[in-house]
Amino acid sequence: MAAQTKHDWADDDDLDEISTDLPPPQKIQNKDGTTTIIEYRFNDEGQKVKTTRRIRYITHREVVNPRVAERKGWAKFGQSAKDGPGPAHDTTTVGENIIFRPSTNWRKDARDESKDPNAQAMKDKLRDKKVKCRICNGEHFTARCPYKDTMAPIGEAGAGGSADVAAGLPEESAGAGAAGAGKKGSYVPPALRGAGGAAGAGAGERMGGKYGERDDLATLRVTNVSEMAEENELRDMFERFGRVTRVFLAKDRDTGMAKGFAFISFADRGDAVKACEKMDGFGFRHLILRVEFAKKAQ
Amino acid sequence: MRPILLAGHERALTQIKLVPPPFLPFPQEGTVNFVGWYNREGDLLFSTAKDQHICAWFAHNGERLGTYQGHQGAIWTVDVDPTSTIIASGSADNTIRLWEIKTGKLLKTWDFPTAVKRVEFNEDGTRLLGVTEKRMGHLGTIVVLDIKLDVNAEQSDEKVMTIVCDESKATVAGWSYLSKYIIAGHEDGSVSQYDGKTGDLYYNFPAHELNQQITDLQWNQDRTYFITASKDKTAKLISAKDLEVMKTYPADTPLNSATITPKKDFVILGGGQAAMDVTTTSARQGKFEARFYHKIFEDEIGRVRGHFGPLNTVAADPTGKGYASGGEDGYVRVHQFDKGYFDFVYEVERERQNRLAAQGH
Repeated sequence: MAAQTKHDWADDDDLDEISTDLPPPQKIQNKDGTTTIIEYRFNDEGQKVKTTRRIRYITHREVVNPRVAERKGWAKFGQSAKDGPGPAHDTTTVGENIIFRPSTNWRKDARDESKDPNAQAMKDKLRDKKVKCRICNGEHFTARCPYKDTMAPIGEAGAGGSADVAAGLPEESAGAGAAGAGKKGSYVPPALRGAGGAAGAGAGERMGGKYGERDDLATLRVTNVSEMAEENELRDMFERFGRVTRVFLAKDRDTGMAKGFAFISFADRGDAVKACEKMDGFGFRHLILRVEFAKKAQ
Repeated sequence: MRPILLAGHERALTQIKLVPPPFLPFPQEGTVNFVGWYNREGDLLFSTAKDQHICAWFAHNGERLGTYQGHQGAIWTVDVDPTSTIIASGSADNTIRLWEIKTGKLLKTWDFPTAVKRVEFNEDGTRLLGVTEKRMGHLGTIVVLDIKLDVNAEQSDEKVMTIVCDESKATVAGWSYLSKYIIAGHEDGSVSQYDGKTGDLYYNFPAHELNQQITDLQWNQDRTYFITASKDKTAKLISAKDLEVMKTYPADTPLNSATITPKKDFVILGGGQAAMDVTTTSARQGKFEARFYHKIFEDEIGRVRGHFGPLNTVAADPTGKGYASGGEDGYVRVHQFDKGYFDFVYEVERERQNRLAAQGH
């Protein structure tokens, strides 16, 4: 140690390459019963590699047939003749850990994990959706619209489109909202935002302008929701009052736990009013829900 | 469980066998044709592959004991005698060879007109059968040789018996209990029962779909029944005495191998798309898993992944503590079962155990 500190650090590399002898392997007994083994070797590029392993030896006694014991002492032969005792690295390795637990319904388990949640969630999302063209409101994809080269999308068409925006957009953006509000629709240059914003009754510069549109109509804000809640449960609870077009449960990105609030959109405002009255103060998973109409974001 | 990977072959494995105690499979270079069986005590494992040496491994840690050098072609099969003194191997170089397990010394070579696809010792190790390929005008045959279980003894050149399979060639064969019958599986999917002493055909039964080759035949411990694996995607449990199909295990892929586990009433099936079809058929993962079925209830109870090619061979540890599989990918994977494996019982089994326990007190 003392000798090493005298070197300039920049010399170290050279010294290492020149020295051909490796430090002897060290074995240190630790107090907790483990052994630390430090070994040095040269890798393929001629660099010195230090390997430190901490090993705990556990003696496992097994009584075997004397013939088995005798066979363990046999000398190796053939291609293994030169191998030392113990498994050779070039032929024997230990694989990844495999968890194998026999079960009569393993097939069902596997399917529940992989297919069902996705398929079910997708079905839920799409249950109330219809394809709607953004240009002419027809039942086809926008890209297929016969007017796509001649007409601008409704939302940009000016004040006349205002009602259609309110009707059309909630459905279209519901998927994005449920997916975690990460998607804000397609990019609109700032120069054009004024026009769209004007149509959207003063939504102005706000990026989430579209969302504002539907909120005040028939959307409820539910707070004090349990962390363990699922969107499906909320949907089931609120569907009693009418057709629910969207359920958005805010979830923590990392933990996947609910953050404690949710938005429920109804197709009909009357249903929303009913739901608001009945569900406010409803006990759900040990917590008392608070339900109110979503305030329009300013 | 953490499998041990054995890479001793350069090509696909053809068979693995454990010395009477089970062997662990190790990776071979190239595809593994056969993971030999564990020997009777389950401590040694032998594997053969499409390269030209047999590997012997210690099953408990995957250490390679040695290789048996001398074959001039792909080795299709290996078997261990009941005393773990010698092994026999059959190869595409048209020979059956006898080796001393301990030293790797070649003891005897028998020449045949065609490749040898399967060898098996009878229960007391005094006889060896070999299945020869149908090729170049030669019909497929099952030959029986007398063996002296002594490393220093002179082995006889004479064939004790030759059974000619003139209808459909035999692909696999084995000795039943007390060497009373020779049971053979054929290329056309049928199973035959021959007299163990005279070679007379008693019975031929179409156990599997027509022209779906039987790829493997392995015995339970007392050799009263056996399991066959077939390209028709099923494995069947068949009694040796009257060739009655007792159980059927359907899979979703052609099977290359099947084995019966001691201790627990399970069977293990191995297969997967043939290597030559992998690129031309579905891109989906090739179903290269070992499948576990309950021997009695015929339900699939789990799968073990790991190989990245079809499984050519599976072998159960005779002590029931593990199993080994060999694949086209050239690896032998040796698995030791966890506690969960031994704990698993059906509800009816548990009820019965409880009832028996209650009666006993």
